[in-house]
Amino acid sequence: MAGSGNEYNLLLPLVPALLVVPVLLLLGMESHEAAFLVVLAPLLAFPVILIVGQAYNGNETWKYKLKEGGIIGLGSLLISLTVALWLMFDYLTEAAHFEHDSVATWFDWISFEVMQSDYTMTETRVLGVGVWIDSVTLMLLFVATFLCFLICWFSLGYMNTDQINENRNHRFYGEFVLFALGMFGMVLADNFLWLFVFWEIMGLCSYLLIGFYFWKESAAYAAKKAFLTTRVGDVFLMVGLLILYDIYGSLEFSVVFDDPSTGVGGAAVDSGQLFWALMMLFIGAIGKSAQFPLHVWLPDAMEGPTPVSALIHAATMVNAGLYLVARMVPFVDVSHHGVAGLEELGLIVAWVGGITAFMAASIAFVQNDIKKVLAYSTMSQLAYIFTGLGSALWFYSHGDHHAAAFVFGASMFHLFNHAMAKGMLFMASGSVIHELHHAYEHLHHGADRGHDDFDHQDMRNMGGLASKMPVTATAMMFGSMSIIGIPLIGGFWSKEGIIAETWKACLEAEPLMFGPALLVLLTAGMTGFYMSRMWLMTFAGKPKHEAAKHVHEATPWIKEPLVILTIISALGGFLLSVMGVVDYLSAEKDHLALHGVLETLEHAFLPSDTNLRLVGWTTILLSLVIGPIYAARVHGGRLTEGEKSNPMVAWLVSLSDSFGSQDVSEIADSSLSEALQNRLYFDDLYEWALAKTAIPFAAFAAWFDKNVVDGLVKQVESNSVLGSIQIRKVTTGRARDYILMTAVGALSIFALAWGVSG
Amino acid sequence: MIDPSWIAGLGVILFGIGLLGTFYHKNAIVVLMCIELMLNAANLNFVAAAVHYGDVSGWVFTAIAIAIAAAEVAIGLAILLSMYSTQETIFLDERASILKN
Repeated sequence: MAGSGNEYNLLLPLVPALLVVPVLLLLGMESHEAAFLVVLAPLLAFPVILIVGQAYNGNETWKYKLKEGGIIGLGSLLISLTVALWLMFDYLTEAAHFEHDSVATWFDWISFEVMQSDYTMTETRVLGVGVWIDSVTLMLLFVATFLCFLICWFSLGYMNTDQINENRNHRFYGEFVLFALGMFGMVLADNFLWLFVFWEIMGLCSYLLIGFYFWKESAAYAAKKAFLTTRVGDVFLMVGLLILYDIYGSLEFSVVFDDPSTGVGGAAVDSGQLFWALMMLFIGAIGKSAQFPLHVWLPDAMEGPTPVSALIHAATMVNAGLYLVARMVPFVDVSHHGVAGLEELGLIVAWVGGITAFMAASIAFVQNDIKKVLAYSTMSQLAYIFTGLGSALWFYSHGDHHAAAFVFGASMFHLFNHAMAKGMLFMASGSVIHELHHAYEHLHHGADRGHDDFDHQDMRNMGGLASKMPVTATAMMFGSMSIIGIPLIGGFWSKEGIIAETWKACLEAEPLMFGPALLVLLTAGMTGFYMSRMWLMTFAGKPKHEAAKHVHEATPWIKEPLVILTIISALGGFLLSVMGVVDYLSAEKDHLALHGVLETLEHAFLPSDTNLRLVGWTTILLSLVIGPIYAARVHGGRLTEGEKSNPMVAWLVSLSDSFGSQDVSEIADSSLSEALQNRLYFDDLYEWALAKTAIPFAAFAAWFDKNVVDGLVKQVESNSVLGSIQIRKVTTGRARDYILMTAVGALSIFALAWGVSG
Repeated sequence: MIDPSWIAGLGVILFGIGLLGTFYHKNAIVVLMCIELMLNAANLNFVAAAVHYGDVSGWVFTAIAIAIAAAEVAIGLAILLSMYSTQETIFLDERASILKN
């Protein structure tokens, strides 16, 4: 293995990637014309990594200089990132004569003629390829490119130092960049069709990457499960797109959203039909974003390598569903010629979000696998965003544009905060798992490890790591705080908005919103509990396993992404709030600008509405005080004497010890806990339902295929065999028989010719 | 002068006799003779046509056909001789045939 000291020299080949944007600027290109590079760079890297990786597998240069393709992948993602930043810069400063929503259509992909219903004339329809850029696109594009880059960086340390991955990392990096281009393309696409195409690319990569360790039965099963569950959603999504196409005659955003004659609400759009189209899209979204009832795949998806969990199942791919729902806003925005009468849609979205948030948080209570806790936390936080989007959709179709825009912006902002924090949390958990694994290997060096059952992801084997891994501990602390919504940090700024506005919808006009509103409020406290529990079980107290005493933060490439994302998680929320990002994301304002810090604080802590103030402070009470303190009573504890960490972590650890302790073994043995351990039996329910429906149907189909379809073919075959046996008897082998046949044949032809001519 | 149609009719009859002979006889020499009979039936028709139209080409065809028939008989008899020496019979159908199936 190359020495860790000079590893960073390997980054030198990436310098040309940094020069791409300056060169394009010198050539006088506009940023939105160059946007295709965001997708093109990974698209070119993908075959290169796979083919070269296959050809030079095990080669020294390939392995240590190019990190089995990791450097190539990192370079392509760096190009994507710089182009995305350029786009953002241009858009924010409006240097490139952007319209408010800039559209660049490059070429027509498919062009075909459609007969009109009266069969008199045809019209030409075109399916184009282009980019659609607005603030939501740019925010997601930034999240995707930035996190993909950092996680690829992290993977250089995480994947390439693990023996089990040796000589197959090119598969990982190849699939990684393919996934990345899927996400970039989906965000940039200017029509629903390309959105769907890239959506499916991500589905494929999800399957490939979850099943990266395909020789493990559980990984292969998880990959299949993820693929098939999201497939259920995808079928609905496709149906929804077909209905949309039927309504608008196009899938381009510019036609569907903006065209005054045929677009949203124009030309006699049937609100019932549109409702079903949007419902189908929503089912597609809940499949991708792992919401109730299609949530079962996400926890199993943790079978993949940790960077994959960080990338796909926390930071980017699961946001695809949210993005799709966010794109539904123009359909229901009645103050901008949207279609009236779609309030139910918002309600359904909010309810699905509320139920998932509560359910996932409660399951996270009892998980002992550190990645599983994070997986359920992801589900729960995505559900927050769904709830927020649901209330936004409800407010939009209710006509309260101001409230709608606020909660929409808050939801999108929460997406940003959650992606940053969760990407970092997963990388931090990866760091913990990786180092624990190495410590264990080191401890048992040379011993027979063929049949040990040490689970390096189990938090019951950790504990007391705060002094051993100060960087990771700090990172995870800020990440958890952002997810919990500790005031002033990260997710607080967005989560507060979602909860408050959902309550506002409930209190002002729609009593049915009470369910989601109450559920997300309770979930805030539960988040406080399970995130604190995870952090305390991992970092506080005494080491619970011999291996945990020998952990060091030594692997290169792992710390940098953690540090960068820690800073963003800790400060990003506040800074962006002060800049008015919420209004910006909901297109209320067309630029980011500093407005008063005091105003922002007042808006967050002392809103003028008394009810909202009550809700806000209840949230803070639950998430800051009740949840974490209860977690501290159960799992808190001092470090071993003499162990030190940095002041903030040390203070937090000692604080966790000061609340006394509580024995929860009675609760832990209860039937509720068992139900939660078993994920509320959803997997069993689905398996039972499949066993009762799909499997008998499959058996019938197999029977039908074997007996009817194959039967027909076999009948034809055996009949022709029998026929040819009969015909063979004619060939006697006697020359005179042949002569007779020839003569009879010739005479018949003569007779026929005679008859025809005569 | 005999009407050429009579001569042509004689040709047909001779050809029929030759054809039936190839069907019903097993002796290879008789079969060869029957083939000659069919060839000569065709020659007869050529001659009749030549007389009828006053065209010399029918005579020419006949002359060529007779020459070729002589060559064919020579080859045919040679085949029969070798068949007799290897299979010890000149009766057809007595041995398994390579023409079967």
